Amino acid sequence: MRKRTLTLPNGKVVTEQRSKVPLICAILLVFIIVAMRVTHFSFRTLATNGHQFFVILGAMFPPHLDFLNRVWQPLFDTIKMSFLGSLLGALVAVPLAVLSATNIVKSKLLSGFFKLVLSIMRTLPTIVMALIATFIFGLGTMAGTLAIFIFTVSYVGKLTYEQIESLDMGTFEALESLGLTRLQAFRYGIVPQILPTYLSTSLFSFEGNLRYAAILGYVGAGGLGIILNEQLGWRDYGNVGMILTVLIVTVGLIELISQTARQKLQ
Amino acid sequence: MSEMIELKLNEQPSKKRQYLLLGGIILAMLLWSLTAITFSAPDDGGAKIAGNIIKGILSPDMQLLWNFTSQGVFYLLFETICIAFLGTIFGAILSIPFAFLMAPSVVPKPVYLITRFLVVVIRTIPSLVYGLMFVRVSGPGPFAGVLTMSLTSIGMVSKLYVDVIEDIDRGILEAMDAMGCTTFEKIRFGIIPQLIANFSSITIYRFDMNLRDATILGLVGAGGIGSPLIFAMNSYRWHQVGSILIGLVVLILIVEAISNKLRAKLVNG
Amino acid sequence: MIKFENVSKIYPNGHVGLKNVDLQIEQGEFVAIIGLSGAGKSTLLRCVNKMHDISSGKLTVNGVNVTQLKGKEIRRFRSKIGMIFQSFNLITRTTVLGNVLVSLVPELSWWRRLLGVYPATAKIAGLKALDNVGILDKAYTRVDQLSGGQQQRVALARTLVGDPDIILADEPVAALDPVTAKIVMDDFQRINREMNISILLNIHHVDLAVAYADRIVGIRQGEIVFDGPTSAVTQEIIDEIYQGHGSSSIKGSLEPVAAEVVVDA
Repeated sequence: MRKRTLTLPNGKVVTEQRSKVPLICAILLVFIIVAMRVTHFSFRTLATNGHQFFVILGAMFPPHLDFLNRVWQPLFDTIKMSFLGSLLGALVAVPLAVLSATNIVKSKLLSGFFKLVLSIMRTLPTIVMALIATFIFGLGTMAGTLAIFIFTVSYVGKLTYEQIESLDMGTFEALESLGLTRLQAFRYGIVPQILPTYLSTSLFSFEGNLRYAAILGYVGAGGLGIILNEQLGWRDYGNVGMILTVLIVTVGLIELISQTARQKLQ
Repeated sequence: MSEMIELKLNEQPSKKRQYLLLGGIILAMLLWSLTAITFSAPDDGGAKIAGNIIKGILSPDMQLLWNFTSQGVFYLLFETICIAFLGTIFGAILSIPFAFLMAPSVVPKPVYLITRFLVVVIRTIPSLVYGLMFVRVSGPGPFAGVLTMSLTSIGMVSKLYVDVIEDIDRGILEAMDAMGCTTFEKIRFGIIPQLIANFSSITIYRFDMNLRDATILGLVGAGGIGSPLIFAMNSYRWHQVGSILIGLVVLILIVEAISNKLRAKLVNG
Repeated sequence: MIKFENVSKIYPNGHVGLKNVDLQIEQGEFVAIIGLSGAGKSTLLRCVNKMHDISSGKLTVNGVNVTQLKGKEIRRFRSKIGMIFQSFNLITRTTVLGNVLVSLVPELSWWRRLLGVYPATAKIAGLKALDNVGILDKAYTRVDQLSGGQQQRVALARTLVGDPDIILADEPVAALDPVTAKIVMDDFQRINREMNISILLNIHHVDLAVAYADRIVGIRQGEIVFDGPTSAVTQEIIDEIYQGHGSSSIKGSLEPVAAEVVVDA
């Protein structure tokens, strides 16, 4: 980029640093146009057909109450899947997080390896995980639980090792100097500092997982997704509305509980 | 003296009962959840398929991977990026009015409570449902994917935008009043510069997430790399699965690295 | 020239901000206003550029009757009066130059205002103002990366670029450590002398007020209780201004006085 200079009346010369904003805007604009071509985006279709969306939305109301009886079982499956996956995932995340933290594990190689493991686990979208799991473990909640478990391990693991690495290691050293072993120093010096955040992260992850678990059934991994897929396929939108209502209420309730718990932890 | 110490010792609130109760609840939930686990795996198929998947990843279909036509991995990934990108941009734009309507410092209580409820509803409805609804609007293809992503982005993005809005430093507005600035000038030069960096950072973060989520859209025929992946898996073409997975993982890792760098730069200047 | 004639200000909640204030400040004077928190120092300052309306009396600034100004006239009037705040009130996440140039925004054409593009003449004026307060090298740094003293000088440059006749400074050094406070006060003094800009300054630190200002105005409960050259200020006068509030800590020295002295060492 060419540089312009400005000369002040008193003879001082300042090299102007030009704002990059126009350049960034231009690049974004070009990419938006390209992306609109690639995705066949058309405002005209949206204007002429957009009401279809609301037609379907309208068909969901009022929800078919008599369908409620068929919702409970998959709903419980969804809750079970996300609870089990989150709980086990959060537990397994702890040793992985500790092994990934450079200030606890002295070997750069070891911590680097575990960080890579967590990073790769996080990369694959959960739905792809669930899909693969259905091929290995068969259709059902087992596959969904596994997918949620893997996601939770990677998510809670990453946030926890970042938390450990940002800790002040003074306490740890002080306790070691008192004659505690590294493990004891960890238990009394590190754990109390990271516990609230760790629990809060785990709860947050559980909230998100519950939402996510609802779609895993779509690939046959159990839960609400199965009946959702079925009812959407039959275009029985009243029933879909019922499923969504139940899901929104459940997620809302669990979020409320979890948020109160998280606020108490802070 | 020792009596006082003993007294203090007994004063310490005993949390044992609370912890026991909590532990009991969690244990009960765990046992209840375990009933969901059923091993219905095909007798020996599971292990064999797992082996095949690993074999497929280790020896990916090179032809598909290095194919630059519209059936190749590169084009499919590019299409996925385009869906996620447009979805994020439109979602971010739609989130701005939502965010202001959710900010307690901007609107009265009933308004922000209603908007918050609406956003929770938008956020909770699974993206697949939106996908299917939009397929009816635009026909199958990436366009439906863009519309879905635009809508699903609102939930998280607007929630994070609100925190930024609530964090605005209002001192500058008084200073600009003293300079003789109009309301428009106050918004343009006083408020927007404060918002733009954090808003951009949030939007980039969401793009990162949308890229992962875009794979879901393939399930309902809303474009992206998800559908070829599922076709390949359902027809047991493990080498093709391998090449798609490799492409996806590499793309997501690259985008994550770039997005982390960009966001750090935006926030710290 | 700023002229208060029997000015009173009563807030809607009944609190009396100013009571029968008569005050005349000539062009180029350096006036420090001292008094307890809540005595009416800020109110006095904010009436000058009509950030507050007065309830009765007459206030003229450079021949303009401030009470009669409306809408656009107020904004044009204010752009000739610079104002400095205790908390700097800069735009975060924006460069130093960007902050300084905001002062010139009302003079730009509509499309420049929309896009935020400044002409080269404006940029040179901005850089000149930064040079004047000695932070030219920070022109393209983001303000949030500067120290408090530097931030206050950015605010000073921001007022200078508008070529003001008067600068109103509301506790400009209260958030600064003593050393930085002196540097900023030096800037005020130099600007006052070299550019003949009137400076009205609220200040907690009596020692700084006495060291830098030409004239001291003491306010107690909305009324002017002292007005005279700095040389006429005695301990008795200061006790009178701060009467009944922590006077024991004042006696015998001219140290920082007010109830909420902020000294970040």
